[in-house]
Amino acid sequence: MPEPIVQQTGRHLKWPALDRLERALMILCGVCLAAFVFSTFVDVVTRETGHALLWLQEVTSTFFIYGIFVGTAVATRRNDHLFLSALTEQMSGAPRLFFDVFNRVVVLLVGLGMVVFGIQNFFTGLGSFRMPSMWPMSYLYIAIPICGALIALFSLEQIVNGLKNGFQSDADHGHIQEAGV
Amino acid sequence: MIVSNATLLTIMTVLFLSLGYLGVPVAFSLFAGVLVGTMFTPITMQSMVAQLFNGMDSEALMAIPFFLLVGELMTSANVVIRIAELSQALVGHIRGGLAQVTTVFSMFFSGMSGSSSADVAVLSRTMAGPMAKEGYRPEFTAALIAAASTIAALVPPSIMAVVYGAIGNVSIAGLFLGGIVPGFFIAIGLMIYCYFFGPAGFRRPRATFGQLATAGRAAALPMMIPVILLGGILTGWFTPTEAGVIAIAYILLVVIPLLNPGHMKNIWRDFIHAGMVYSLPMITIAAASAFGWLVAYLRGPIVVAGWITGFAGNDPQLIMFSLVLVFVIVGDFIEPVPAIIIFMPVVNALTEAGSINSVHMGVVLIVTLAFGLITPPYGLALLMASKFLNVTFSSALKASLPIYIIFFAAIAFTIFVPEAVLWLPKHVFPESVGCFKAPGGTGYICP
Repeated sequence: MPEPIVQQTGRHLKWPALDRLERALMILCGVCLAAFVFSTFVDVVTRETGHALLWLQEVTSTFFIYGIFVGTAVATRRNDHLFLSALTEQMSGAPRLFFDVFNRVVVLLVGLGMVVFGIQNFFTGLGSFRMPSMWPMSYLYIAIPICGALIALFSLEQIVNGLKNGFQSDADHGHIQEAGV
Repeated sequence: MIVSNATLLTIMTVLFLSLGYLGVPVAFSLFAGVLVGTMFTPITMQSMVAQLFNGMDSEALMAIPFFLLVGELMTSANVVIRIAELSQALVGHIRGGLAQVTTVFSMFFSGMSGSSSADVAVLSRTMAGPMAKEGYRPEFTAALIAAASTIAALVPPSIMAVVYGAIGNVSIAGLFLGGIVPGFFIAIGLMIYCYFFGPAGFRRPRATFGQLATAGRAAALPMMIPVILLGGILTGWFTPTEAGVIAIAYILLVVIPLLNPGHMKNIWRDFIHAGMVYSLPMITIAAASAFGWLVAYLRGPIVVAGWITGFAGNDPQLIMFSLVLVFVIVGDFIEPVPAIIIFMPVVNALTEAGSINSVHMGVVLIVTLAFGLITPPYGLALLMASKFLNVTFSSALKASLPIYIIFFAAIAFTIFVPEAVLWLPKHVFPESVGCFKAPGGTGYICP
């Protein structure tokens, strides 16, 4: 039985209303990766056959970068990020509750920082252009504030639900992530 | 407010480490350090946000999702079992049976995934059960799997080498080739350790030539993947990124349809999962780049490089030894990828000061960081293996201690015998280690 796309661990920290968003973002991750693979493949083939298409490299890097920011956002809801350690998980009682909230507030603030400064960067990017499309860099830079907004939303979701239902249970999965290298 | 560079560097580092160890994801801990550090400098916040982009804007780094996808497809299509069977036919009869198989299997799979974490996951899934049935203590199995998986950080297509090459402007092909000898060194060391000091295991009869040929035939298609990856890169046909995409095309068009056609309907799930997973090291790389940029702006690398040259002078071996010490300490606390990125300016300065071959330096540091994957408190491979095998980290660590000797020997070997490390790059891809064509047109001149 294949695993569902929406992660079922840590359900007590999730609003069911955001499940569709998680699902959509996960599918978008897959689409970005598939498009990235396909465009790189076509790039290699066209170059080897002497019909190189310059714009393909721009398409490739666009999917690559969007895939990173979409994946970063959805990984926040799934608690899938890379962790150094989680001393918090060895605590109990009030200190544990404090740091469970504190850690998520830090993530929330970083997300908000990405929104505010990312929007400033977006406007700066209107004045510089990508080759060969000559589109403003902003179409790439916009990924940062969008990612930041989603991170902030998912952190808020966890804080509210954690304070209501408690942070512990199956979320204590040891914070080990297979994406390390 | 005026804050000295040293104070600011301390604040950023303490903030990053304390947040990281409290349980804030690495990427966010790093970026929190960047945002706080930036507040005390004339740099604008938006330009630091733009640094996130600069960190990931590298053609070489685009290889990472491909290598992760190769590992994902091979594992989820259950093709790797054929490689385990080939390993068993090759070395299953040697004393230590399945422990030897685990090491050889890891060597083969490392040639496809480039990721120690992927190796730990695959080895735990395929080897832990059979080893438990044959009476191997789970602590020993966890220690062995973790140590064997570090080979993926050394041999091509090592993602660590890709990151090192991309950030440090060092030949990735050179790092790939240079990592092969230390990779074999560790593999052979593990096999010797298992032979003399590990459990005897269940002794199987030596595989007949027919059995070996059957296992070889069954594994032939997946075993072509390392050939495509390394062959494509070394012949100059493909960059590492392109070699990765060709390997994926080969898996999607040949390996899975022929070996596990039933999996074709689930491939979209592999893409979804790998699509999310690749963003995790990449956003960490992006945040580490911003952190490293700010550290460089605050002249941190110059200070550290000054300390090291003050102690080591221009002696290449002393410089490498000092950097190994730094990286052993750093690697104990943070992930290899951010460690590489943050310390790359120091490494570059010292490589130049000691007139060290940049590929040699890269291989030495990658071996050191690979060792960090099995040392406390943040030995990712050992943490993962102990989790998968349901043993405590401390018991797996205890079982790992004798294995550390192999890594000490490997690090010393890479430092003191550069000829062995650079032998393959010099002979296969001379340009990667700074050799240039002789004016007469025959052969190469190497510095």
